[in-house]
Amino acid sequence: MNLLPSPEQEQIVDTLKAFLSEKAPVSRLREHGALGNPDQALWQELGQLGFLGLGLSEEAGGVGLTSADEALVYREFGRHLISVSLFGTTLGAHIAASSGDQGLLDSLLSGTTTVGVGNLFSDGHLHQEGCSGEFHWFEARDAQFVLLLDESGAALIATEDCADRRKVNATDASLALERATLSNAKPTCWIGAEAAQIHTRALLLTAAYATGMAEATRDMAVEYAKDREQFGKPIGSFQAIKHMCADMAIRTEAAQSQTFFASLVFAENRDDLALQVVSSKIVAVDTALKNAAANIQVHGAYGFTAEADAHHYLKRAHVADQLWGDLRTQRIRLLSLSPTAQ
Amino acid sequence: MDLDFSKEEQQFREQARDWLQDNVPEDRRPHHGDAMRDYDKEWQKTQFEAGWAGVSWPVEFGGLGLGLTQQLIWYEEYARAHAPDNHLCFVGLHHAGPTIMACGDEAQKTAHLRGMLTGEEIWCQGFSEPNAGSDLASLKTKAHVEGDELVITGSKMWTSHGHLADKQELLVRTDTDAPKHKGISWVIFDMKTAGVELRPIEIMTAPNLPHFVQCFYDEARVPLCNVVGGLHNGWSVAMSTLGFERGTAQIKDQIRYAFLVEQMIERARKRFGGANLQNDEIGSRLAQLRADMAAARAMTYMVVSRAKAGLKGSESSLMRAMVGDVQQRVRRLAMDIIGPEALENPEDDDWVYFYLRTFSTTIAAGTAQIQRNIIGERVLGLPR
Repeated sequence: MNLLPSPEQEQIVDTLKAFLSEKAPVSRLREHGALGNPDQALWQELGQLGFLGLGLSEEAGGVGLTSADEALVYREFGRHLISVSLFGTTLGAHIAASSGDQGLLDSLLSGTTTVGVGNLFSDGHLHQEGCSGEFHWFEARDAQFVLLLDESGAALIATEDCADRRKVNATDASLALERATLSNAKPTCWIGAEAAQIHTRALLLTAAYATGMAEATRDMAVEYAKDREQFGKPIGSFQAIKHMCADMAIRTEAAQSQTFFASLVFAENRDDLALQVVSSKIVAVDTALKNAAANIQVHGAYGFTAEADAHHYLKRAHVADQLWGDLRTQRIRLLSLSPTAQ
Repeated sequence: MDLDFSKEEQQFREQARDWLQDNVPEDRRPHHGDAMRDYDKEWQKTQFEAGWAGVSWPVEFGGLGLGLTQQLIWYEEYARAHAPDNHLCFVGLHHAGPTIMACGDEAQKTAHLRGMLTGEEIWCQGFSEPNAGSDLASLKTKAHVEGDELVITGSKMWTSHGHLADKQELLVRTDTDAPKHKGISWVIFDMKTAGVELRPIEIMTAPNLPHFVQCFYDEARVPLCNVVGGLHNGWSVAMSTLGFERGTAQIKDQIRYAFLVEQMIERARKRFGGANLQNDEIGSRLAQLRADMAAARAMTYMVVSRAKAGLKGSESSLMRAMVGDVQQRVRRLAMDIIGPEALENPEDDDWVYFYLRTFSTTIAAGTAQIQRNIIGERVLGLPR
């Protein structure tokens, strides 16, 4: 039993950290806000580095690692607020692999085909024969496909098959957001929930992404508290601020530990899989939201400005909350699960 | 990163499970007095005789000499078997014992460690004072050397079960001129020493029954050879064991509280109806606590993982702070689930008793606020 990343895993994470620090500093969101998110342009390089097919077998064209490794890299994607379109590619690749569509899989893993993320907005249903309902589409504007998934399964829908789309103003302005209404749109690719545990995997990756955001906001708040002086001292020397930072660290440790734990339970497909993964989404998203708010407060008036990065983390945390069921939905689901012997 | 246990570790788990199944006491643990003392000593002796008392303690002191993973497995099985905590052995097993192992001389180890493990020697703590709580290093109980003895005068506060203990780990000021962290000594103190008086202090869970004592020392004499780790060196001796080793024992609470949350879910379903619970505030709090208990357990695994990797930082305080808070929220929610029954505190039902008891989880062994100072300064590197 060991929850710490192995040296090999550290190496993978370090490679990604170096890549993202150079190509996707969070400051990019300041420059590109109004122009649209440039992240999808990174997919081809991420694909060459192997990050798009990390959890897929080598025969399928992936790297042959596990959900634990996927979770580790999604933490870094969250830390850098990488476009949620990446979920479309990672999960889309699992869908293509499970349904045996090698051509689609290859184009996803190379980053040449991009996938937006659809999130059920109101009543609807997903089915192999046709998907209906009203959805939020994230980052689907230039994408060939959109990913839809719920507890029944997962679909890739060709974006050109949907005429009823309208752009809406996004709370998180660094993401392109649309409302799309589908009536019986037939998926290009479909798998049931059992295959690749696709819905649970989506929750786990969201938890990892939220954990990364929580770590980033904790670190931002701590750095600012060391640097900013008032009353002749760094504000981090005052207990009012110090304890806020400590609370951020406590919550983050909970989110990180639970997400790591759940990612290993996922890799082993244990009986308590659903319980551990849903718990990880609840704890991590709750932490991302609370830390984002605390980070703004620690930064004072500067934290309230558009030029500080703090607001991006708050807005993205709300996106992560809504993806595949918000805190309320996840709590209801968790309460309905039967306890396990684990 | 893995959740694997080796074949030997799994065998160890099965042996522990089997033994616990056959040997966990069936009677409820009394909460007070000699009955509690006898119960704890008896249960400790039973564990010792079967070899389970000190899984990670060295063989020469009666332990099994195994690693942290086996210790973790033992506590997991211990909690699953609903084995009772023997709180009276806690200071010896988890505090004074590890301290003497780390800093004591051979004679001190030989004299005390085995007795802690067998349950024959009950230890209490003499750290806090009326004017030295969170600011422990400002303690004023004095001791001076006379020949081959220390002569102690002063007072200690909040000593749990001091009236039931045989020995005390005692911090005294032996050099009043040195800076406050430098002039302290860590002393093995016999509670039967002449010149000691105890004043019982009742606690909120049980008026009329003492839990703490205040200890008064009036020129109490202790052999100089009872100083552990050198004269004036007591602060670093005391700090040597505050931390990561006790992480494994916390898994018991994590598992027990996870069981409790499951019981609470059952009870809430009965009282409110399962369907009504879904959109109810109590249902939402229950679900959040189910998730938080899972996280608390994962955090304990993280503490053990760091300890096994030799990372002896202050990060274990993150888990402690989280767990203190979660335990209070669980017990508080239990009160809301039982509703008007919360106003009754029957002897044979622990729900209200433990609700009151958890008010100590954010005070004992460093308040939640002191924990947050430690996290802020030692984990996050914020200035003092």
